[in-house]
Amino acid sequence: MPLIDPSVVDLSRLQFALTALYHFLFVPLTLGMTFILCAMETTYVITGKEIYKEMTHFWGKLFGINFAIGVATGLTMEFEFGTNWSMYSHFVGDVFGTPLAIEGLMAFFMESTFIGLMFFGWDRLSKPGHLAVTYLTALGSNLSALWILIANGFMQNPQGASFDADTMRMQFNSFVSLVFSEDAQAKFVHTSIAGFVTGALFVMGISAFYLLRKQHVALAARSFRLASVFGIISSLAVVTLGDALGRLDYLVQPTKIAAIEGLWEDSNAHGSATAAPWLLFALPNDAAQTNIAEIGVPYVLTPLITHSLDTPIPGLLTLEQQAGPRILNGIKAINALQQYGVTHDAASLATFKQYENDMGYGFLAQKNAPNQDLTQITPANQDAIVAQTEKDTIPNVFATFWAFRIMMFLGFYFVVLFAFAAYYSLRNELEKHPLLLKAALWSIPLPILACEFGWITAEAGRQPWSVYGWLPTFQAASSHPVGYMVFSLIGFAALYSAFIAAELYLMFKFARLGPQDHHAEPTVGGGATMFGKPQVADKSWQ
Amino acid sequence: MGKLFKFIGLAAALALAIFLAVVTGDFGAWYFAWLVGTTMIVLIASASAVMFDTQESNSKGEV
Repeated sequence: MPLIDPSVVDLSRLQFALTALYHFLFVPLTLGMTFILCAMETTYVITGKEIYKEMTHFWGKLFGINFAIGVATGLTMEFEFGTNWSMYSHFVGDVFGTPLAIEGLMAFFMESTFIGLMFFGWDRLSKPGHLAVTYLTALGSNLSALWILIANGFMQNPQGASFDADTMRMQFNSFVSLVFSEDAQAKFVHTSIAGFVTGALFVMGISAFYLLRKQHVALAARSFRLASVFGIISSLAVVTLGDALGRLDYLVQPTKIAAIEGLWEDSNAHGSATAAPWLLFALPNDAAQTNIAEIGVPYVLTPLITHSLDTPIPGLLTLEQQAGPRILNGIKAINALQQYGVTHDAASLATFKQYENDMGYGFLAQKNAPNQDLTQITPANQDAIVAQTEKDTIPNVFATFWAFRIMMFLGFYFVVLFAFAAYYSLRNELEKHPLLLKAALWSIPLPILACEFGWITAEAGRQPWSVYGWLPTFQAASSHPVGYMVFSLIGFAALYSAFIAAELYLMFKFARLGPQDHHAEPTVGGGATMFGKPQVADKSWQ
Repeated sequence: MGKLFKFIGLAAALALAIFLAVVTGDFGAWYFAWLVGTTMIVLIASASAVMFDTQESNSKGEV
């Protein structure tokens, strides 16, 4: 395969990262809000109290704004695979296209159909019927995420497919392997529950806003209670599931986990692996392949990653060396494949099959070969090319290390925040803790930030591969002119920024307006008595 | 007749739930954990809201 202009590859990566990061501003809130609406409506159906119906209406309206703009930003991404990543689509389209198609046909249609019934079916459906619709909307939203993450799971840990030398593309072998891939499963539960945390903090933060202003207290106090309890369980779950996902990365993506931990040398390089420190702070220097100014906590790394006390973890330098033989095998595989493409002889095919599993490393070496032609590698230049390619097998350590830490520190912050919020809410003492309410309000954007950094950890840590071990990212892009890429990038950035501005405007507008008060505040039982009479807001902190 | 249809519908839902539990339990433990965990989170959150009303009622009763 001819190599694509590196500027086009970088611009394609930037464009996909930009559109995905924009889209992911909306997704977690949708994933979480739907199930929070389920909890609110379930309470309404069980208790029959109108206030819970009003809560479902009000939070549903904010959810609806987010959902509509989230869908608009997501649609373009599926087309990007074809326009900007045509080599990728050719190579793995048979596999990757399946979950994407199911996502569109099953989950998205299901979600869109039931969301209409959810918004407009209040007077047309029975209480249990409408509740069922709300649950199906929530299920549809999360099933959308499931199929996307199944597709992403294949990129992280390709299963259920093999390479076909005749068609020069991956062939889909096992739907079950794809769907039940451990990577897909772990990513789905972690991402979905992270969405629950986002939704819970969104509801809790806006409720805190009302409680501070002593407005809509009956609705806000109940919403705060429900969201804080929803959030504390979800935040504990997301930390636990994140740890399990890290353990899986250790098993199937050793370069990613070593980059996440800033681990250049093996964990037992300076003595026992048991005492290896987990780095709280470090400044990884990718060029020098070392860390500057490390602050570590001893005895934490090995049990955290390996779930054992003494299993050594290979460092990035060791993993680079281990890639050497695979690069040599990959070069043989690609050369044999090219030969087979011309002659279709059994000997070339047999040679290719022998080294097939290392084919991706051959693609990786192509960038460093003379004239990007692997057949021009000779015993004289081979060692230098392999050494250069070895360094290309590891991701950007600084970005991966810090993206992970920001996500993780925020994750633990959410556990603490929700723990205090749930505790004081359960004791009905929120009014004594305005600082907690302000913290909840100002923390609304943080779970979205954590989700973005989680995505960066997963995707930056997967580099240099678009499909781990099989297809390097620089081989996956389309061969567009640079001007086309710059133009479309600016267009996307402008359009998506407009979407975000619209979302923020509508969210602020409807959140400030609050629910339509069908009941005068003093006559509404519950919560109103705890927070006193409505007052004019002190806007100094807004 | 209505009760019969309701019974058949609920029985079908139960059979589907058992089937899903067996399949996901065997092949997709994480999916199974998500189904059970999400249900639990929703129901506990809902229970906490019900508890809020009970606390309110008790508080008013004491006054």
